[in-house]
Amino acid sequence: MPLSITEQNLRQLVDTLVKERKLVVGPKLTDGLALYQPLSSGQELSLAKLPRRSAKELFFPICEDILSFEKNKQGTTVNDVDRSHFPEAVLIGAPPCDAASPAILDAVFSWDYQDPFYLKRRERSTIVGIGCRQGDDACFCTAVGIGPDSDNGSDLFLTQLKGGGFACSVVTPKGQALVDSHASLFGEGAAGQTRPFEGKLGDKLDLAKIKKWLDEHFEDPLWESIADICIGCGACAFICPACHCFDINDEGGTEKGTRRKHWDACGFSKFTNHASGHNPRDAQNKRYRNRIMHKFKYYDDKFGKTLCTGCGRCIRACPVGIDIADIIGTIEAK
Amino acid sequence: MCQSDNIYLPHLATIEAVVDETPDVRTLRLVFQDEEVREKFNFRAGQFAEYSAFGAGESTFCIASPPTRKGYIECCFRSVGRVTEALRGLEVGETIGVRGPYGNSFPIENFYGKNLVFVAGGIALPPLRTVIWNCLDLRDKFRDITIVYGARSESDLVYKRELAEWQARDDVRLVKCVDPGGNGPDWDGKVGFVPNVLGEAAPGAENTIALVCGPPIMIKFTLPVLEKLGFADDAIYTTLENRMKCGVGKCGRCNVGNVYVCKDGPVFTAGQVKAMSREF
Repeated sequence: MPLSITEQNLRQLVDTLVKERKLVVGPKLTDGLALYQPLSSGQELSLAKLPRRSAKELFFPICEDILSFEKNKQGTTVNDVDRSHFPEAVLIGAPPCDAASPAILDAVFSWDYQDPFYLKRRERSTIVGIGCRQGDDACFCTAVGIGPDSDNGSDLFLTQLKGGGFACSVVTPKGQALVDSHASLFGEGAAGQTRPFEGKLGDKLDLAKIKKWLDEHFEDPLWESIADICIGCGACAFICPACHCFDINDEGGTEKGTRRKHWDACGFSKFTNHASGHNPRDAQNKRYRNRIMHKFKYYDDKFGKTLCTGCGRCIRACPVGIDIADIIGTIEAK
Repeated sequence: MCQSDNIYLPHLATIEAVVDETPDVRTLRLVFQDEEVREKFNFRAGQFAEYSAFGAGESTFCIASPPTRKGYIECCFRSVGRVTEALRGLEVGETIGVRGPYGNSFPIENFYGKNLVFVAGGIALPPLRTVIWNCLDLRDKFRDITIVYGARSESDLVYKRELAEWQARDDVRLVKCVDPGGNGPDWDGKVGFVPNVLGEAAPGAENTIALVCGPPIMIKFTLPVLEKLGFADDAIYTTLENRMKCGVGKCGRCNVGNVYVCKDGPVFTAGQVKAMSREF
């Protein structure tokens, strides 16, 4: 059955979830900068701007402790991190490009060895996605098979209505549970017409064709022509909803400290550097090639998914103007 | 501690012995502190582990001792960075962390009844040394065993005491070499580069498996020599040693094209290596 929720009740839902001591994360403006942040009230939810960084950090924090250690006269002890206190969380107000990414990342964090940090947070969270009504010239979600009304990865999906408020569709049992436990905030039936998307939507690219070209063109002049200008700053990876590379490092001293997992980027020159000094990706264009290959070929080879949601953040952030949408468009046209 | 589902949690091990193989290469013999881990830790030749010096971090090395020797494991590393310097700073009786074993292994059972040729250069003997001892501990299962091992200079040869042991055995043919200029007055081995020395030693390819490990440049020049001797791509095994962090297929660092060295490797046949993207 179609459901709806008014904007007031959506904010009320946030208030209620906060009162239930859930971690509610959504787009929030701080001095004009939109970021996914913990919300203390429904009034803080701001749906006007795409947040600067993606929502992946709710599941895969920028930096997190994975163990602690201590050395004393009795010897060395290693302590696990208590994951039983990871909060029940609701991610609310994520547009399709952000709501889609955790479902893509599940594959790498759960194949063979199970990453308990990522997976515990995923298990304890519900994603309320929202249809996107306004893109910019960097957006290209439609090129990678997502769209402004795509509910991929959402548990509950909201669509803005012309007269205000939202139509809601339940996508998963988690979404149903959220509705059931707050039934009084939802109305029955779609109350009005959907607000149309403002702007131009690009065509869907043939991802299979792009992958086939990548299968056959590990060596190609294209890599030098598009990526020699890359400065290896890593910005694209850090703001990407789908990049998942990380490093592991110890913080503290030899007597007492923590081991941490933190985001890393394949664009960094030392990323693959061997202890001997040998570096398999010894030029910037080889590192950028890995970025494209990982997203549109390797991840597909391994997990049958494309590691990109078309959010356009890397295009907006790139200090030298590398445009990934343009690159995959060029490849598709070959 | 081992009951946790935290895949990043290491076992604790005590350094039981330290051997300086060269001025900057050290072997650590490690014994797990937890009795249950000590009994249950099983690995196969070719697998690797993440070793930690707490406070400095983790580093990836193969398990250099053979699975046929129980009760301990060994690793061997060159001190070149923060973690390896810290590991080198630890003394007998001190504690390090060990995560693993990870990755695939040499299919040793498939080598039963065959001749074996080991080809190693420099610090790359440890990944083959585990196989060599594994096979020597099951000597009856194999036919001729040839070991071609070289380093830049005499002092860069690792496991010198074991080289002497292998040289003294009549069921092993050891061909050791050092690069031109790396030999002292008493050097009793060959002088030359590993691929050339291998070519001169000319082990037969019939019913023979070759296991090769060395720096990329050595591998590059060794494969054509083996090919010329008649070795098929699926009769040549090597182990790749890419930089790793997680060791379990998550951190996205060790891939060669779509191959994850930590999960799909580190052991590959020459045929598999040739099919990979040229990125190592």
